[in-house]
Amino acid sequence: MAMGPSDDVALVRAAQCGDRDAFGALVALHGPAVLSVTTRMLGQGGEAEDVAQEAFVAAYRGLATFQFEAKFSTWLYRIAVNKCTDALRARRTSTVSLDAHDDETDGWEPADDETPHFELEQAELAGALDRALAALPPIYREAFVLKHVEGLGYDEMSAVLGVPRDTLKMRVYKARTKLCHALSHLQGAYR
Amino acid sequence: MTPHAKGDCDLAQRFVDQELTPEDRVRCIGRLGHDDAFRRRVLALEQLALAATTVPRPVLSRDFVAGVLRRIESKPSVWRRVADAVWQPRPLRWNLVGATAAAVALLVAGGVVSRMVDRRETATTVVAGAAGTTPVLVRLVVLRPDARRVEVAGDFNGWNPAQTPLEQLANGAWTVTLPLEPGRYNYMFVVDGTTWVDDPFAPEQADDGFGSRNAVLDVRPPTGGVM
Repeated sequence: MAMGPSDDVALVRAAQCGDRDAFGALVALHGPAVLSVTTRMLGQGGEAEDVAQEAFVAAYRGLATFQFEAKFSTWLYRIAVNKCTDALRARRTSTVSLDAHDDETDGWEPADDETPHFELEQAELAGALDRALAALPPIYREAFVLKHVEGLGYDEMSAVLGVPRDTLKMRVYKARTKLCHALSHLQGAYR
Repeated sequence: MTPHAKGDCDLAQRFVDQELTPEDRVRCIGRLGHDDAFRRRVLALEQLALAATTVPRPVLSRDFVAGVLRRIESKPSVWRRVADAVWQPRPLRWNLVGATAAAVALLVAGGVVSRMVDRRETATTVVAGAAGTTPVLVRLVVLRPDARRVEVAGDFNGWNPAQTPLEQLANGAWTVTLPLEPGRYNYMFVVDGTTWVDDPFAPEQADDGFGSRNAVLDVRPPTGGVM
């Protein structure tokens, strides 16, 4: 979300006073970013859009509690991520624990001689990355998505996820290493 | 992985995050110059970060905003309303006059409360107005960051967009507040004087008979100042 906090203030205040169109404007402004997060977390399809809409409905119902202590976009991201976590829990099909905090595990560190070099064109690489992201455990996926797809800094990520900054850095490190490893197994991705 | 390689990995990761100390920057630049493996690792991480900025972004469906607004307007379950009332934190600002007035109001309100709740749920775009008086102030908002000029044309101004220009806000939104008498109005926005667009936030739309759809604004009489 490229908007600064001051850009949202007037619309949020109007929405808090019951101005439905002002909230609609906020949905239109922030919808792409929220949908981006839900799509990366849940995959392409109707569920991502459904959860994104749920996030906005939850935001609307909690609008009175928003006190401008954080950016509106940060608050929205937090709601969206929580909704995604709920949706992933509801699936109950994954064997991956959403609550796993195995940041200290060392299983994803690259081998000493693994020095990948991408051969894919940038557009191909983006598509391959999109697919590889789906295979990451959720806590690493959300960290990578917020950091690199949405462009948040670690401090804002910490506000969104409620996780310490250093922990998030480790998750992003792990995610990047894991993604490099995954992409290296694509034929022609590395040499 | 050896401690040396692990340190390299950490250095490469912090390079990508631009979180190196001046000393580490010097060390990193030196390594980039003579250590091919390290250089390729950094390059791969940088390419990964760059690729993340270009992953295909989903596009909001045309009905996304309207869908959210429809969900908001749907009546929540009784349990949901009770849960919201119990759990939703609210800021409290006390003063003696307000507290006294609230106490008196509680004594006399009685069954009026349920009617007020019903009215609040059905309000839409009315932003100001008093019972028994007209007009009602209605605010329209549309997002057109690239527009140089936005106007609105509808039943309320004889479909003459020149009469009702919108004011541009800092974030690409355009807005206008209209004094309207209660009733139903069809309208469309006009962008840069030539492009007619419907209102994606409109809860209701109607076929205009020419292959497009007008937004429909349902202005209701204000009810006791409850929005």
